[in-house]
Amino acid sequence: MTTALEDLLAGWIGRQRWFAGKGRAIDGVGIESDVELKSGDPGLRHLILQVRQAGTRDRYQLLLGTRQEIPQRLQHAHIGGGYYDAAHDAELTAVLLEAMAQGADIGPLRFRAMEGVTIETGLRSLVLGAEQSNTSLVFGEAYICKLFRRLVPGINPEVEIVTALARRGSPHIAQPYGWFAIDIDGVDTTLAFMQRYLSTANDGWSLALASVRDLYGYAHQPEIPASDVGGDFAAESHRLGIATARVHRELAAAFPTGTLDPPEIKRMAERLRARLDRTLLEVPQLRGRDEVVHAAYDRLADIDHPITVQRVHGDYHLGQVMRTHTEWVVLDFEGEPGQPLEERRALDTPLRDVAGMLRSFDYAARHLLINHPEGRILEPRAAEWSARNRAAFLAGYTEGGGRVHGDDAVLLRALEYAKAVYEVGYEARNRPTWLSIPLAAFTPREE
Amino acid sequence: MSAASQPVPNTFTHETPRDPFWYKRAVFYEVLIRGFKDSNGDGTGDINGLIEKLDYLKWLGVDCLWLLPMYESPLRDGGYDISDYTKILPEYGTLGDFIRLVDEAHKRGMRIIADLVMNHTSDQHPWFQASRHDPDGPYGDFYVWSDTDEKYKDARIIFVDTETSNWTYDPVRGQYYWHRFFHHQPDLNYNNPAVQEAMLEVLRFWLDLGIDGFRLDAVPYLFEKDGTNCENLPETHAYLKRIRAEVDRLYPDRVLLAEANQWPSDVVEYFGDPVTGGDECHMAFHFPLMPRIFMAVRRESRYPISEILAQTPKIPENCQWGIFLRNHDELTLEMVTDEERDYMYAEYAKDPRMRANVGIRRRLAPLLDNDRNQIELFTALLLSLPGSPVLYYGDEIGMGDNIWLGDRDGVRTPMQWTPDRNAGFSDCDPGRLYLPVIMDPIYGYQALNVEAQQKNPGSLLHWTRRMIEIRKRHPVFGLGDFTELNSSNPSVLAFVRELGNDRVLCVNNLSRFPQPVELDLRRFEGSTPVECMGGVPFPPIGELPYLLTLPGHGFYWFTLTPTSATEES
Repeated sequence: MTTALEDLLAGWIGRQRWFAGKGRAIDGVGIESDVELKSGDPGLRHLILQVRQAGTRDRYQLLLGTRQEIPQRLQHAHIGGGYYDAAHDAELTAVLLEAMAQGADIGPLRFRAMEGVTIETGLRSLVLGAEQSNTSLVFGEAYICKLFRRLVPGINPEVEIVTALARRGSPHIAQPYGWFAIDIDGVDTTLAFMQRYLSTANDGWSLALASVRDLYGYAHQPEIPASDVGGDFAAESHRLGIATARVHRELAAAFPTGTLDPPEIKRMAERLRARLDRTLLEVPQLRGRDEVVHAAYDRLADIDHPITVQRVHGDYHLGQVMRTHTEWVVLDFEGEPGQPLEERRALDTPLRDVAGMLRSFDYAARHLLINHPEGRILEPRAAEWSARNRAAFLAGYTEGGGRVHGDDAVLLRALEYAKAVYEVGYEARNRPTWLSIPLAAFTPREE
Repeated sequence: MSAASQPVPNTFTHETPRDPFWYKRAVFYEVLIRGFKDSNGDGTGDINGLIEKLDYLKWLGVDCLWLLPMYESPLRDGGYDISDYTKILPEYGTLGDFIRLVDEAHKRGMRIIADLVMNHTSDQHPWFQASRHDPDGPYGDFYVWSDTDEKYKDARIIFVDTETSNWTYDPVRGQYYWHRFFHHQPDLNYNNPAVQEAMLEVLRFWLDLGIDGFRLDAVPYLFEKDGTNCENLPETHAYLKRIRAEVDRLYPDRVLLAEANQWPSDVVEYFGDPVTGGDECHMAFHFPLMPRIFMAVRRESRYPISEILAQTPKIPENCQWGIFLRNHDELTLEMVTDEERDYMYAEYAKDPRMRANVGIRRRLAPLLDNDRNQIELFTALLLSLPGSPVLYYGDEIGMGDNIWLGDRDGVRTPMQWTPDRNAGFSDCDPGRLYLPVIMDPIYGYQALNVEAQQKNPGSLLHWTRRMIEIRKRHPVFGLGDFTELNSSNPSVLAFVRELGNDRVLCVNNLSRFPQPVELDLRRFEGSTPVECMGGVPFPPIGELPYLLTLPGHGFYWFTLTPTSATEES
């Protein structure tokens, strides 16, 4: 029976969107932990799986539902036999909510509620679509619970950061409500994290695109500047800049900070240069544009004062921020999933996030140009939108207490080029038609 | 027990049962007597002309007319400078005509409310003349007099363009008098109990004639007190409570509508104590909503509307907001000066084109470039957002304006009834009209008039009438809760109005481009949305996000009917 489940899982897990080892053969699936959360029919078991692939061994989390008969509505989550992925079964996920509300210990699983909050139980859950590496359950309209799929031992940085900022009363995070955890290899490891669901919020990316589309609508009226077009986004960009600076200040206050001394900055410049050289070999279209990058890296290497480093977001772009009715709220402090935890928690310059957001503005402005019949006419509009919103974001960032002048400007410029170089490599490999977006970053611009 | 539930004399007998909360469901229509219909050929609209057109308003679906001031006045401020509270402006007719108007409206199940300026009078008012000539006489203390212009320094000057001080010297009495508006409009002295009594007398005079209520102009300024900004003072609220108690005691189905151009959190004070269900004004205008609607559509983003509604406090149970798109005034930006509390408002004022668009005095259609889709979207929002809608005369046919006329006259031109002489407004010599009719090639009366649109079933007029009809079929629009829904698309504003089992879902595309939207409607799982215009059932709501596509500036109203058939297991 047990063997049968493991075989079923081996056949099923490779097809899941969140499975990180796609394209490589699965040598076997083992069950490392198996905790019954609800008996009877339907029943719920919490599993930690070990997936073996060509010498690697990755852990995944699964809520296993068991039923005599799988109803139609759960067919899409069917694993085989009487088993299915219970994340999709609102009847069973209610158990998680109750356990967090009670702060229950079930076997080795520890369910917890954030201090000072009350969790409302009895809400039905729904799996949010279109997620890459995790699975999020929305309970009613109140909570969103992110179930981490691939497990890395340790406390998830998102839990660490969001709870710390919540304790400081930050308005720019979604209120945390609870989490559950287990020890893996003796290390406290986050399994899921539940926050307030921002039910009437939209992400910055879709807001920005609405604005860009509106500007494109004026393609044939170049006399109307972007500032006068109805969909102008600059005020939002400005406010987002302020919010970003505040989050950085809160992070600096809540966690230790450090410094990066000039020799380390030089080594950083060297690493960036090496990556540029590799990308130049890989992507011929970048050749002839690299002069500005080298110049920026030279100036980076010349910085002779230490730079302050702190906890940062690490993967900051328009898709990671949500506009509620009152504030910009920052999500996903997880860092890059799949990277080792020490790396995701490492101190860095907050300008890394700023550079990421600036690049994101450029992507928002230009990605609709891809295969657009009027792409050439619209190009100046895209440049105008990007410049206007980047400037507004930086002005807001400064207003909120962020620093982008002097050495900071040099650093920011270098980090932005570094990000664009990375994008060039990524697009060349994965989406060649998008290559023109990051390539546009290598024409000198005045700001 | 609220006063409204006490036994009361029945004052609204004409075929319509008395309903003390009628104003919560009513569709209001703002009409300028001067500009609506001229019955005697003198070039100026009058009360008898308005009576002639009551059938039209009834046909349109209007429940209540709001009349701009019709009192005797030297007309230096559009009639807001009243020189006798108990007389009708002779150009408009007589008191007898007015009584007949109220009667004829009531016969048709419609109501009438009128503007009333309590804060000040004209300097031609006999009270003021008596006050300045005889300081020791019975009217000596009816106005706010002072030997210096030093008092109440913290009160701002509202008409900064024309007035340099809130005090003006009167050479007759040899003292300064206080005025919050024009210098020819002295403020009444409400600290004098005789003034409070006199104004109650004025209210009773009109209520006894059968009028259904008042729009109280400039209410925040009634009282003055040193060391304050002289706005929203507790004494002002206390006096309004006194007025309300009088209305409830003698005239229980009448309505008081406050004009307080203030932030919603301040305006709610004018509804009074929530414990009683509200014991000051029954209604108040929601001023900040209107510019936000314009801004949201220009930004193609729901946030300006979402934000202001999220910031609007809950109002007492028996109260209602009055909401509007355009009215006889320009958009006043009074609140912008008070912006510290609200960064959004500052941002709105910063947008130069926005300022150009709504700061100037324009009608709805020209503001929206005469784009039918946008006019329909705006009207649909007006009729579905929380509050009672107030239409401005002429906007139902998409009338234009005349920006070459001075002050606010550009939006007060004669109503366009027919393609005949003077747009059917008057049979006078065209040169005698109080203002010229609109004659431009787009909005001119030859093409744009009530008669032509009544003949054309596809006209804006018929469309507006149909929308009002739908609104009135669903009391939830007036009475229901408002909940914004999670929409995957920032250009789409989706909300549900709910009152028990009466539920209407409204989805609005604020963008000029077609948009898809996924709505989280799990709460209504099993219901079938039925589109209100055509009655077409849409696919039932399941557990997954509900996908809709909307054309540019498109909108849908759906009723959500619970599925009676057995649900699939």
